[in-house]
Amino acid sequence: MKFIIILLFQIFSVQAAASVNDARKIFNTSKDPHKNAHIAQELYKSKYYYSAVVFAKRHLIETNAYNEALETMIEQLILKTGTDNFTTLKDSILGKFPSPALAFVHGIKLFKGKRYSEAKARLALVPVDHKFSPEARLTLGAIANITGDQKTMVAEYQACVEQAKKRESDAGDKDKLARYFKILSDTCRIHMARNLYANGKHDLAMAAYDQIEKTSYRWPYILVERAWTAYQTQDYNRALGIGVTYKSPLLASYFFPEAEVLSALSYYRLCLYDDALAKVDQFYEVYKPKAEELKGLILPQKKSHTFFLELALAPIKDNENKSPFIRQLLTQIRKKIIFNVDLVNYKRAINENKYVRSLPNDYFGKTIRGELQRMISFRTKKLNHFIKRLMFNFVNDIHSMSHEMFNIKLEIMSNKRDLVYKNKQLIADRGRGSHENVNRSIEQQFYDFKGEFWADELGDYSFGLKSNCETVKRQAAEITMRGRR
Amino acid sequence: MKYIVSIICLIFTIKCFAQATDKDVIIKYKEYESFDLGNLEIKGSVLAPGDLSVRERERKVFAAGLYNRANFNPEIEEDIRNLR
Repeated sequence: MKFIIILLFQIFSVQAAASVNDARKIFNTSKDPHKNAHIAQELYKSKYYYSAVVFAKRHLIETNAYNEALETMIEQLILKTGTDNFTTLKDSILGKFPSPALAFVHGIKLFKGKRYSEAKARLALVPVDHKFSPEARLTLGAIANITGDQKTMVAEYQACVEQAKKRESDAGDKDKLARYFKILSDTCRIHMARNLYANGKHDLAMAAYDQIEKTSYRWPYILVERAWTAYQTQDYNRALGIGVTYKSPLLASYFFPEAEVLSALSYYRLCLYDDALAKVDQFYEVYKPKAEELKGLILPQKKSHTFFLELALAPIKDNENKSPFIRQLLTQIRKKIIFNVDLVNYKRAINENKYVRSLPNDYFGKTIRGELQRMISFRTKKLNHFIKRLMFNFVNDIHSMSHEMFNIKLEIMSNKRDLVYKNKQLIADRGRGSHENVNRSIEQQFYDFKGEFWADELGDYSFGLKSNCETVKRQAAEITMRGRR
Repeated sequence: MKYIVSIICLIFTIKCFAQATDKDVIIKYKEYESFDLGNLEIKGSVLAPGDLSVRERERKVFAAGLYNRANFNPEIEEDIRNLR
């Protein structure tokens, strides 16, 4: 058995070497105007994907020739190496070929530049059954969502869910690919829920959010959106309960400063001013040292092109001396899908570089080595920038949310002052909570929370606080309280 | 001749001004004045409340603009940015 495997491996290696040699031969001798496409094909056959990208791009820049074989190869190269390698091409080049794969790359590039109408025109060229169809439909749905085209939006998101599900089942045993398409279909559903939220249909939005399974990778991120939806329906107890889910040990690596602000706002809306103020103070106590610590780590390294990537890829024991907060933040970043996709591409490029190094040191070998080195450098910077951006975003989020917390504090002080001037006070002689104050639908059951987080209950918590917004005359209330003593 | 007449007029004018400023102006104010309100008779009805009262002033409300979420468009854009 071992012998057969070695034999097969050798046969494959010989074939790969033969294709590379053919590519070199074409590179050195051919005067065909389409020779770059032929070189790319030979390198692609030998699985030198990144090297093939170099010559495929040269072909696209230098000629207008395009055929089905080239389309198949470019589609595969995008799948194997990512869209980034082609997004560096100019708009005029990306737009001159009748290629759905290039139209997809171009559409995504235009979307990122907020050129929505041009992006829409390009992405519409990706057929419904194309390999990039789920992503194209998702992006078309997002464009319609942002520009307020409801009819198109629903159609595109529904097509996205269907296509992503189909590809998920096609992926079969390929777990990672199946998971990727599951995330895509969940993302399309989440976008629809967000649209309902933006249009004020909060009950429908909540129902749409509830369709996302708790096992989904997206689920921890949408908890805060669900809490906002509950808040907009004035179910402040539910908003507070959903926010508590982030306190469970299972979600310890997820922290959203916005969720804390939402909790303080919910207390404020229930006129539980002291609770809201306690939440504000707690925010400053917890997040201020975190922000300082993170700033201390990232500011000295902000110009580094490798520091953040090395930090994220370092073995766990190397980061043990870092605070739990930094380690949890790194865990959160490592869980991001795009980080994992880019990391796989980065490792593939490094792996290919090992083989490319063994190529003869002629002009062909030097050309490939130089180009591959540039690609690896670009990918290193991109990954490093991604981590850095998330860390800076987190610090900025803390700052902007602390400003919002300050506003809540001001508002509470203003309300308290008004009560004093009006010689009134909040009723405040009620119990802290009751089952009666929990809003629930017929299919929801009720259990008391006793400090234990059960996986099946996560995200379904609700407080039972009674609104304290009723005011009474100060004097009368004081007399009543004295009488009770 | 014209010159002499002008000089005489000028001297005469200066003399007149000097006489006017030299004279002290004494202004006298009344040292005491009293009004006997007891003799005043006012016809009409009392409209104001008898005790001291302050009308409640409408207080300025400072709208700080509490944080709210109108949409999740930044998250939608981020999702597309994070595609493969």
